[in-house]
Amino acid sequence: MDKTTIICRCEEISCEEVEEVISNGGRTFDDVKRITRCGMGPCQAKICTSMVAEIIHQQTGLSPSEIPLPRMRMPLSPIKLETLGTNSTSFSAVKSVLDEVEIEEGKVR
Amino acid sequence: MKTDVLIIGGGPAGLSAAIETASRGLDVTIVDEASKLGGQLNQQTQEMRPLPSVYEPMRGFELANKLIEQIKDFNVRPLLKHRVVGFYADGSAGITDEENVFPIKAKKIIVASGAAEKAVAFPKWTMPGIMTIGAAQILINRDFVLPGREAVIVGSSDFAMETAMQLMAVGTRVKAIIEKQSEASAKEQEKVSELLRNGIPFYFNSFIKEARGNGQVEQIDIEMPDEVITLNVDLICMDGGRMPILDVFYQLGCSFGFQEELGGWVPQYSNTFQTDREDVFIAGNAAGISTQGALLLTGMIAGISVSEELQTISPAEANEMREALWKELGLLEYKEVYSGRVKHLENFTSPVLKDQFIS
Repeated sequence: MDKTTIICRCEEISCEEVEEVISNGGRTFDDVKRITRCGMGPCQAKICTSMVAEIIHQQTGLSPSEIPLPRMRMPLSPIKLETLGTNSTSFSAVKSVLDEVEIEEGKVR
Repeated sequence: MKTDVLIIGGGPAGLSAAIETASRGLDVTIVDEASKLGGQLNQQTQEMRPLPSVYEPMRGFELANKLIEQIKDFNVRPLLKHRVVGFYADGSAGITDEENVFPIKAKKIIVASGAAEKAVAFPKWTMPGIMTIGAAQILINRDFVLPGREAVIVGSSDFAMETAMQLMAVGTRVKAIIEKQSEASAKEQEKVSELLRNGIPFYFNSFIKEARGNGQVEQIDIEMPDEVITLNVDLICMDGGRMPILDVFYQLGCSFGFQEELGGWVPQYSNTFQTDREDVFIAGNAAGISTQGALLLTGMIAGISVSEELQTISPAEANEMREALWKELGLLEYKEVYSGRVKHLENFTSPVLKDQFIS
């Protein structure tokens, strides 16, 4: 693997970009994701999660059990908005991303 | 829609869990994104062994058909080409048939989501002609498409060895097995010997330095301990191991532990295959990567535990059956995997990751 090797094929993020985040203190998949968009394409991090964890392990010496899982949001796989906003009348739609966050005294819990 | 038991994933574990629950009179719904039940078994032409004592040895696709045949006698509703996209606040699963999204409220959920293959990154690994061993197996055995004429395989697990044999059987020339360790990782040495007998070279302590090609892979450089060799190939099969598919567990708020022998991060579960969410059970590769026979046993145990919870069998009966199945699992599963599983169970109350869902 060299610096130009693609790690996230959906968003075309290279090994070098992942390493740069780590050298700036990134220690989790989500750190890398927030800075580079790694894992935010159509496959939703299904391929690159383990590769990014491996790079973090190699660069920092953290053991694999110290590198947490990325956050896995709904929808679990890509779905057309048209399908998600289905015309059924028995319910509104699948719980939205915002429903995942609970507010307590004006702050995210 | 309402059901007693919702099974997510219709592979070997999901189907064996369906047989255990539906045969005791429960109403069972299986959701699977494929158009046929059986999961990965459908393209596995290799002989499955060892299998639990109730099954005679057979090939993967034969086992799939046998399991599908068995559920026909019972009240099982297969929802094929359906996916789980998430969960509602009341715990109902959000299912889509690609036209609508609808909720299914189940008394108990068994998640048998299976495993995902891991890729192996090297320069230009994203070129056409480079795929996982599982993808190559789907092409030859399910789609009847030759993925390439001249191949190398990166990695040497049992699954990689089996796929190498199957590629050769359909006329692909396997030029080399490339392994970064000093020996093959296959647990069954016989498979390695068979490839060696067929004249396939194994390059140990080696890796792909670079792939090249115009629009698709044509050539690779292999970095060996004391030289770099170049091979012309139009197919590279990557065997980076497999890991449990966890997104459904994550959404359900399950906790996770880390167990290398089981494939890395694995949801926490007890010896009844119940996760730390009361109504959620686990089965199959999601509970730790193992062999097909072992996957059937985990599905059977999960199914028995759910039947017990829904009061179709007594706790004493359930315990007795579980004990026998666990004993069989210990005999049938690779020792390292089984001891990893036992260790994982011991850590049930001390997960590494918990309360992930609300951050």
